Amino acid sequence: MATLTKQQIGTVLAKQGILIAFAIFMIVFTIANPKFLTMDNLFSVVRSSAILGIMALGVTFVVISGNLDLSVGSMMSFSTIVVLDLHDELGPLLAIPAMFGMTLCLGAFIGFLVGYLRLNSLIVTLGMLSAIHGLTLTYSGGQNMDIADKEGTWFSIFGQGSALGIPMPILIFLGLAAILGIILSKTPFGRKIYAVGGNGTAATFSGIRRARTVFACYLISAFCVATAGLIQASRSLGSQNTVGQGMELEVLAAVILGGASLLGGSGTIFKTVIGVLILGFIQNGLLIMGLEFYVQYVVTWVIIILAVWLDIAAKRGKLWSSIA
Amino acid sequence: MKTTLTAALVASTTLTGTAMAGSHSDTMTIGITQNNVGVDSYQTTYEKAFIAAAEANDMVETVVLDAGGDVARQIAQMEDLIQQEVDAIIIWPTNGEAVIPAVRKAHQADIPVIVTNSNIAEQGFDFVSSFSGPDNITQGKRSAEIMCDKFKDMGIEDEAKVVHITGQPGYTTAIERAKGFDDRLPEVCPNVEQIDKQPGDWNREKSQQVMEAFLVKYDDIDGVYAGDDNMGVGALNAAKAAGRDGIIFVGATNFAVGYEAMQDGDYWGSIYQSPVDDAEAALKTAIDVLNGEEVPFLNYFDTPKITQENQDEYDKPVF
Repeated sequence: MATLTKQQIGTVLAKQGILIAFAIFMIVFTIANPKFLTMDNLFSVVRSSAILGIMALGVTFVVISGNLDLSVGSMMSFSTIVVLDLHDELGPLLAIPAMFGMTLCLGAFIGFLVGYLRLNSLIVTLGMLSAIHGLTLTYSGGQNMDIADKEGTWFSIFGQGSALGIPMPILIFLGLAAILGIILSKTPFGRKIYAVGGNGTAATFSGIRRARTVFACYLISAFCVATAGLIQASRSLGSQNTVGQGMELEVLAAVILGGASLLGGSGTIFKTVIGVLILGFIQNGLLIMGLEFYVQYVVTWVIIILAVWLDIAAKRGKLWSSIA
Repeated sequence: MKTTLTAALVASTTLTGTAMAGSHSDTMTIGITQNNVGVDSYQTTYEKAFIAAAEANDMVETVVLDAGGDVARQIAQMEDLIQQEVDAIIIWPTNGEAVIPAVRKAHQADIPVIVTNSNIAEQGFDFVSSFSGPDNITQGKRSAEIMCDKFKDMGIEDEAKVVHITGQPGYTTAIERAKGFDDRLPEVCPNVEQIDKQPGDWNREKSQQVMEAFLVKYDDIDGVYAGDDNMGVGALNAAKAAGRDGIIFVGATNFAVGYEAMQDGDYWGSIYQSPVDDAEAALKTAIDVLNGEEVPFLNYFDTPKITQENQDEYDKPVF
């Protein structure tokens, strides 16, 4: 250890600023209330973060490709309502692929507008946020969806089941993170996404089909949303049609917190997972500390900004910079 | 959307009807601008019940409009209704403050305004004939009584500990129910301790997360009060998943999921608030005002207690 030079420590810090922030929060919360660091609590936080987390995995792809996806919240409501409704109409075995198909169609539509028509992704997905919400309300006629026979269906395994003592939502989240992480970092397709997001024009001139890459990112995002909707539906076997409302901003916060750049071209799945966990543990930690909720609103965002600052400061090696 | 279209058609025929009939007082035309039909089951059912109640009454013609949650659209609809010279206007405010100027305009045009379901802000009260809706403070109080009575049955009224999950911060309904519960519980069960209170934002998933944190934090929880059944069932799911039995769950606004959980014996009680009663009360209040009858300013419709013991007396809610 003594052989580590100051510079080497600096390099490690620069790469793992967000991990260090994460570790600090965990320690502070545990000191505040030892119950924070119990297996039950850890599982329950990761399990409830899994839905947000899975959506964040897909949005990471979109953000790295240099675009935004603000439609994921209302798209998740859509998937949840559709799969619950079809569960009673067609049975779970058909309902799940049908719901995935419909959600992927939405993703393909957005991918077409942003990728092939080259429309601004902020406007397109902001519009789709409202449009899909309207679609969900029309589909459900404003009614809550509930599965009629809650006891007699195997559909609950995705949200309530567990394997090897680990809850299913966590397994799905981590499994998907592993697969998508490999796709992003180890395949030519992954490198194309970074190239398109980093410098789209240069990527085009290097022979990368930009439209197709962006289109694929939105398909991946829609697939993640459908998976999140499946878990959501399976977890409570019933839902309001506004279940995903507002989640798009939390998802984006987690992705950015993980260090992905809104300008595209940077970010990793691993760091997004850390971003998701930080958000989840902050909310849970403050609840367990028993702070008033209005204090929680403030503290949550103070912590997030602190984390982003730590991350940036570690990257540039000092706490502030006079030349921005 | 379909209902809005038909409503618009009804509206235009109603208008010609009124115009031909002149200003006779045999039939009265009542306009309603609703908050956001289609956004939830309660509002959807309310609209259906309102139209049905109006159709059943030969004396009443209605113009049924929906603001789609949009304040600007609701203000425009108020102005339309004033232009159409309806006899009375019922408004389900999209925003308790922003609609006041429009309400004032109707008042100045001598059109009585009835506020339904959730009241407008106090500075607008002078322009309103009556408010028809649920009494949320009483609902909170009744939930406290339901919980206390159950603790007494179980003989734990001197040691029980309660956690409280409120609706969305800032919403009048959430604030009033929480106040009613907080005030009443120490009156009826002075030794029951409320150990924590956090918002569940009217959201089942959020409430489930809050309850999960409570279960980790407190080894001993005897009762949960949630500001509506949707959140109550979320909390119940969390307790079931954690294998914590014997907790008494009390909610408000009995939802179908809450009603079913009561049938299953998992959920103890709630407050029965029917959108049908809500809609019928609003229409009746408007008719009474037009007939010159004495109507209290706060004209509450009754929202009774419902528990596992008496739920057979009530139909399962449609939402």
